[in-house]
Amino acid sequence: MTPIVPDHPRLRDSREGSRDGDSRGPSRRTVLTGAAGLAGLAGLLTLAGCAPARSTPTIPEAAATGTAKRGGRLRIARPAASAAETLDSASSLSAYEYLGALYNRLVKLDEQGVTVPDLAEEWSATPDGITWTFRLRSGVRFHDGRRFTAADAIYSIEHILDPETASPQGEVLAAMIGPGSMSAPDPLTLRIELLTANAEFPSLLTAYQCYIIPEGSADPANGPTIGTTGIGTGPFRLSGFEPAGTGSIEAYDDHFAGRPALDGIDFFSIQDTTARVNALLAGQIDLISQTNLDFATAQVVSASSTATVARSANAQWYTIPMLHTSAEFSDPLVRQAMKLAYDPQAIVDTALQGTGTAGWDNPVPPTQAVWLDEQRAYDPEQARALLKKAGREGLRTEIFTSSYESVFTPMAVAYRDQVREAGIDLVVRNASSDSYYTQIWMQKPLMVSYWFTGRPIDQLLNQIFRTGSSYNESAWSNPTFDALLDDARAEMDDARRATLYQDAQRLIVDDAADMTPMFGDRLVGIGRDVVNYREYGFEFDYLQIGLRA
Amino acid sequence: MSTTTPTPAPTPPPTVDAGTGSRGGAPTTPRPSRPGRPALSTLLLVLRRIGTALLTVLLASFLVFFAVQALPGDVAQQLLGQDATPDAVAALRETLGLDQNVWARYGEWLLGASHGDFGVSLVSGAPVGPDLLIAFRNSMLIAVPALLVGVAVSLTLGVIAGVRRGRPSDHAISLISLIVMSVPEFMVATILVLLFAVAIPIFPAVVLRGDSATVAELLPSVWLPAIVLTLAMAAYIVRTARSSTIDVMASEFVTTAELKGLTTRQVVWRHAVPSALLPTLTVVALNVAWLLGGVVVVENVFNYPGMGKLMLESVFNRDLPTIQAIAVVSALVYVVCNLAADLIALALDPRLRTRRKARS
Repeated sequence: MTPIVPDHPRLRDSREGSRDGDSRGPSRRTVLTGAAGLAGLAGLLTLAGCAPARSTPTIPEAAATGTAKRGGRLRIARPAASAAETLDSASSLSAYEYLGALYNRLVKLDEQGVTVPDLAEEWSATPDGITWTFRLRSGVRFHDGRRFTAADAIYSIEHILDPETASPQGEVLAAMIGPGSMSAPDPLTLRIELLTANAEFPSLLTAYQCYIIPEGSADPANGPTIGTTGIGTGPFRLSGFEPAGTGSIEAYDDHFAGRPALDGIDFFSIQDTTARVNALLAGQIDLISQTNLDFATAQVVSASSTATVARSANAQWYTIPMLHTSAEFSDPLVRQAMKLAYDPQAIVDTALQGTGTAGWDNPVPPTQAVWLDEQRAYDPEQARALLKKAGREGLRTEIFTSSYESVFTPMAVAYRDQVREAGIDLVVRNASSDSYYTQIWMQKPLMVSYWFTGRPIDQLLNQIFRTGSSYNESAWSNPTFDALLDDARAEMDDARRATLYQDAQRLIVDDAADMTPMFGDRLVGIGRDVVNYREYGFEFDYLQIGLRA
Repeated sequence: MSTTTPTPAPTPPPTVDAGTGSRGGAPTTPRPSRPGRPALSTLLLVLRRIGTALLTVLLASFLVFFAVQALPGDVAQQLLGQDATPDAVAALRETLGLDQNVWARYGEWLLGASHGDFGVSLVSGAPVGPDLLIAFRNSMLIAVPALLVGVAVSLTLGVIAGVRRGRPSDHAISLISLIVMSVPEFMVATILVLLFAVAIPIFPAVVLRGDSATVAELLPSVWLPAIVLTLAMAAYIVRTARSSTIDVMASEFVTTAELKGLTTRQVVWRHAVPSALLPTLTVVALNVAWLLGGVVVVENVFNYPGMGKLMLESVFNRDLPTIQAIAVVSALVYVVCNLAADLIALALDPRLRTRRKARS
């Protein structure tokens, strides 16, 4: 889940589906090629002797681990963001795959969603949660040899805040950082005076727009800007970059966390999903980024001798927003009934064929440290009773879906089948994937949608569920909930704050209008020689990934 | 030299044989020139045909320009993203000239386009012309071999099938062409990739270097897309050539030739084939135009940096100048091919030939 996208909030995934050849989302063509074409041809492959003779290939659970050989080059196929894409991470048109390899942030998230050190070694706040002090790692050098200091950190954050940059994370940070908020008492100390208290402030700097660039590097007056030079402190340095074209990066020997296993990575832009998969099967590339393979394709890939499938667990957060402002779903009883009426596990089993985790209407993935370990009831009879009480027995309405994402329609159909038992009669309507996020999203009372997971808890709850937020896709508004979020920001005690976030999750499960049936694993195509692939949220492990020894 | 009653003309069927599908329209039947001033009337005919062609291109440019202007979604909004402030959108609209009178913009654009200046891409900021030229060259790299091989092979097969109507070779050719015709080209592309890039890796599956690939770098990647295009196109030509050969072989002048004692080979290649080519020409011309549009799918499957891929990307980005330029170039190619087909048909028409001979 990403905050903001170039053209809309699906974020990073918008690219995957969207830029793939046809329009947004796998078109009928892609689906046909993928499903009919590839699946049908699995047999052909077997005949051709290039696939193990298994009748039903299963999708592997985890990526291969092992000793990577020292050196080697990895070839990654990526859907380019735009012909105008840039290496400036603050921009909404950033070339995502390069960022984590070229740069570092002050802080990053671990797999449990906890903020951990990157360029900042430790941080602390005054008890009022206003003044934050970050102690920065010493001895870090940019790829051009300059020493990393607090001035670079201040410059990077100011660059994100600059309205000219129009950074998706700009608005989020601007609510907390004013002009003159930041200072550097010494070269390795960064002090930020927030406009309002926020106990979770460091987590907002984990966004992938917040990479640290050298002071002055975004100013065209100083020569080529960061958008083309890519000078950071990351494990790789740039050796070539063409927007929407090819690019390459080389291991940076002086990286503070050690040299990466690989010698370098070559990036190739391939817009069509089928073409990316073909390139992988033919051994022309080693990894497909930002592409969630559909099941038929994933089975063909995992059956091939050159490639296999790895998973980025719970990477896709699927939602069914009910529009809080609509006649039917403004009634809390109806919203509750819509939840009690279905079993999320059944939807995982059918729509995701088991490659995911049931969400039980809690938007926080179970892997997160602050996850609320409570499962709501599944009770179609109770749902029926609630609808009767609300005067909406036998509720009949439409649920919108589209081919924007391959799981959308199976999810809508599975949900419709589930709620039938409670007497709810849904008609599945297929809308054009081109205009799905402009004409349907946040306009039709009931639809299916998704985000990427990976937002820190404060940003997740404030951006998607807070009253009036531009990404509140269900337009849900609950003053108690908003107050809980404010309390959490003011609560400096970690344990008590976690309790507040859990109260907020409970309130979402009970009352919110945005249902979370499940979290889906992203099925990533990788070569059989690739080891130690690890990706979660917006974190990709560029240090460990390598080729089999 | 029967001048009073012209040789029973190899009248092409009014519509292409039902079996050939819908792609071939009614072939243009050359009008017989009036006796007396045949050369002049032929010249007039040619001039009028060229005039129509020019008008068609102009009309196409008009339609393209206004259709693109009516695209859903504001370019400025699209470029800036959903979160853009109204001020920023208004400012960009002004820079792009979107707030000017649409007719003035059309005139300006047409003037530029007439000497190859299609404006500047809204996305990359680079002039559209050079990029389009490279994409066009790349598309030609797969389209021209596909066309040459496809036409030669499929005409031969079509004539063979037509002459041997009802025999096993005809059945085999017809059946195979029907199958190839029924399978969509993306499917053929996928099968070829799985066979010749994955199972037996002799060709690359995709072009990795994209737009920056040189001709030399593209050469290994040209074969599979060219084969897909050849197959997709050949089936139609085979079936048209077959049905027109059958028609011609049944006509009286062929019977006459046979009765004169000519060998079958002479009858077929000297008399029947030139006449049978007439309706096939139209199908070939339409196929050339299809090659330019139909490559969209094929080029995307192979990540091949040609015009089809450029078109798809510019449509996605709402890159108006590029879309317009591609549409006009495609219309131009389409019109030129059809014009060429008509002119060749005129030249091939035996009636015109006999008259010219009579005059000299």
